[in-house]
Amino acid sequence: MKKKNKVREGNPAITVLLYIAAGAMAFITLYPMYYVLILSLSEPQFAATMKVYTWPKGFNLGAYEILVKDAKMWRAYANTFLYVVCNTVLVVTTCTLVAYGLSYKNLIGRKFLTMFLLVPMYFSGGMIPHFLLIMKLGLYDSPLSQIIPAAFSIWDIILIRSFFRTIPDSLVDAAKIDGAGVLQVLTNVFLPLGKPIFAVIAVYTIVSTWNSWFNAMIYLPHTTWQPLQLHLRRVLVSSSQTLSQVMDQAAAREAAAKELSNAQLQYAMIIFTSLPVLAAYPFFQRYFVKGMVLGSLKE
Amino acid sequence: MLHRKKTGNGETEVMKKKKYGRGIVKENLQVYALMLPTLLLIFTFCYLPMYGVIIAFQDYVPGAAFLGSDVKWVGLKWFKQFIGGHYFQRLLKNTVTLSILELIFGFTAPILFALLLDQIRHLRFKKFVQTASYMPYFISTVVVAGMVISFTDVNGLITNMLTALGFPRQNWRVNSAAFPWIYTFTNVWKSFGFGSILYCSVISSIDPGLYEAAKLDGANRWQQAWHITLPGIKAVIAIKLITTVGSILSVNSNFILLYYLPATYDVADVIGTYTYRLGILEGQYSYTTAAGVFTSVIAFALTYLANKVSNKLADVGLW
Repeated sequence: MKKKNKVREGNPAITVLLYIAAGAMAFITLYPMYYVLILSLSEPQFAATMKVYTWPKGFNLGAYEILVKDAKMWRAYANTFLYVVCNTVLVVTTCTLVAYGLSYKNLIGRKFLTMFLLVPMYFSGGMIPHFLLIMKLGLYDSPLSQIIPAAFSIWDIILIRSFFRTIPDSLVDAAKIDGAGVLQVLTNVFLPLGKPIFAVIAVYTIVSTWNSWFNAMIYLPHTTWQPLQLHLRRVLVSSSQTLSQVMDQAAAREAAAKELSNAQLQYAMIIFTSLPVLAAYPFFQRYFVKGMVLGSLKE
Repeated sequence: MLHRKKTGNGETEVMKKKKYGRGIVKENLQVYALMLPTLLLIFTFCYLPMYGVIIAFQDYVPGAAFLGSDVKWVGLKWFKQFIGGHYFQRLLKNTVTLSILELIFGFTAPILFALLLDQIRHLRFKKFVQTASYMPYFISTVVVAGMVISFTDVNGLITNMLTALGFPRQNWRVNSAAFPWIYTFTNVWKSFGFGSILYCSVISSIDPGLYEAAKLDGANRWQQAWHITLPGIKAVIAIKLITTVGSILSVNSNFILLYYLPATYDVADVIGTYTYRLGILEGQYSYTTAAGVFTSVIAFALTYLANKVSNKLADVGLW
């Protein structure tokens, strides 16, 4: 690193400016979340003015105390958790099986299969035919509408496939000489060696499932099975409803008694629901980087 | 363990005797059996909707079959109605405006950011900035929209900032002139860091010897960036550009759906949001499917064209 330093030195004033620019970018990305955090922790009377810029004014966990009593939010949390677990297991399984099939050397109809996988990456039926299909399959208004259509991803198949390419043929041949069949080659060679890519796919799926809301909005008209993001949407976005309609009765009454502003409750909600992902992403990021690089290798 | 399997497994014996023939067929059957559930899912959720597109050419009644004697074929009626319709010009103008803003700012921001990061030599600081820049990507669109709604409200964070800069205090969410900028800024904020990952990793794979040679030739910081770093990521830029151009008519309507209000429909309503309102909410299935088909045909044509141009000019392309 020191050596590089020598190679590319320039005007120190400009170097300082570049550091400031980079620091400013970090500030711009982090500050909004930080602002939401400190406002949610401030005393209600200060939070109501929205003028809390550097540090929480006072310290009050009232908004969070009310949140954790909101049964509707916990139900939505549980739903999201269910979808995340199911989708992650399913996506990794279904995509691995196809990627394994594509890695099988003597595959008959490989050309056809590749076309079959590539066409949907460029053409799709669009929102409405997809919606009608869900209706016809009877998945409308069912939690399965969030699981079955999301149980695969062609992009992930391609990622796993390009990772499987790096597994030397000799390992497969050796296993075959030892008498391993199709299934044994999968379980004894590909599954143990593929762990890094499975981690990448799992992380991608966890984050995208956690954050998805559009399909839930279309396919789940009733709150029972709606994921966290739709609960959040009602709290943060729907201006037509007041918070007391969204939260359950007891929690809403308590919020009114404590004179908490809507904004403070909303901000507490943002922190509370983003926390799992925000806490995990610094650990996730290397998987994302890996996935990006692998994905681009293919092109 | 493998050896035990060998004795109990007749199929592998067959495979070993003949290199081609029954063994291969049998193995293929097994492989396809493993792939079958996924292939069925793909067929159902990718190909069946493509077939469903035929309702764009009929008077589809909800619940009816797509083919049959009672289907009323109407040719291009819905396409004509969409293109000649009252809202078409507005939709097209909004969609293209937002896409061009996205192309100007959203596309260049990750590249500039990657070039900036490349100049940062302090590794821990660089890592910190990089990690910070990914954060917005992990926040859901709903939360981002909720934050922007709150920040642009009368006493919100962004409103306070704009007021300090001399703009009149207002609820910016209902301000039509501000919408395209709020949309663009939010998009750039959410994705510039994540978008830069690929550029950063390509830049880091450029041969350091090139920089040393340039340095010996007396090239300064900017000349090195211009003559070595940029050409090094040229191919990635071209690929990204092709896909961006291809998606000009499919702006990401997720954020808009959450953020827009009837007051800003004149600038915020795009083909995606229009399709959602008329199709999902009002049940005009044939009409909105036609709008969707129109969009994807144009999108594919644009991708195809951009790919051709890129192949000619830069020798890089998707195909």
